[in-house]
Amino acid sequence: MELAVVGDSEFITGFRLAGIKKIFEVNDDNLESTVNGTLKDSEIGILVMHDDDINKLPEILRGTLNDSVEPTIVTLGGTGESSNLRDKIKQSVGVDLWK
Amino acid sequence: MAVNEVKPTRSELIELKKKIKLSESGHKLLKMKRDGLILEFFEILGKAKNVRAELDASFKEASEKIGIAKSVEGTITVKSTAFALKDAPHIQVESHNIMGVVVPKIESSSVRKPMNKRGYGVLGTSSYIDEAADSYEILVEKIILAAEIETTMKRLLDDIEKTKRRVNALEFKVIPELTEAMVFIRLRLEEMERENTFRLKRIKKS
Repeated sequence: MELAVVGDSEFITGFRLAGIKKIFEVNDDNLESTVNGTLKDSEIGILVMHDDDINKLPEILRGTLNDSVEPTIVTLGGTGESSNLRDKIKQSVGVDLWK
Repeated sequence: MAVNEVKPTRSELIELKKKIKLSESGHKLLKMKRDGLILEFFEILGKAKNVRAELDASFKEASEKIGIAKSVEGTITVKSTAFALKDAPHIQVESHNIMGVVVPKIESSSVRKPMNKRGYGVLGTSSYIDEAADSYEILVEKIILAAEIETTMKRLLDDIEKTKRRVNALEFKVIPELTEAMVFIRLRLEEMERENTFRLKRIKKS
């Protein structure tokens, strides 16, 4: 399996330097279709995205990404992932333990 | 199960007793599973917090480094260098079981490479690009670690929620309703027995 990165040219260049091959340069128009495509790709184990791009996606797709295990979504920048996990902890355990 | 739907018979009473016993043992087991999952979750919570903090710090550092490389070398040089890289890190996703919850175990081929193995010419590029590549390799390592831990956490949380719902449903809905039905049948059977005795006495009298 491979690691994939979806984002604008600013975000993805560094990952190319780290040797990652599955890189998808997107803009606001093709973001949703690219993310849907990566979700269907069985070769992708981890999907890296910027938090701002995640926020541009429709609510339903965002929910699918948050619940997805294969590929696992890792967001960078902002406080997206930690706040998602925080909400999930509050919902499941009943107490905010992410302090 | 509503009380008025229950047939007041002995066989129904025996059946209900069996159901209550099964529900109670299931409730006990699920409660134990929930507690076990919460313990596992607490173990992983500290790790997840650290990994997220490290990941954010690595991303910040890597962004700064690539920014410097772009401003010194120019965006086109950095991009062309990036396209020259050959080996992509491969990851292996295996799964293991924590109290019935299947969680992934992600292993990767070495992400960090020595400068001469990266694939671009050392002489043609500056140390700024090397530093940027280095920091992005560290970031990818952290991403792989974060992916494993955060997925494990998500799965554990999902299962904790599911188990909690089941425990609550058994504790506050299923068992009380079954007990209520059992009490109803018992009272109804006693009542029927009294009616029968009274009827027999009346027959004997006449």
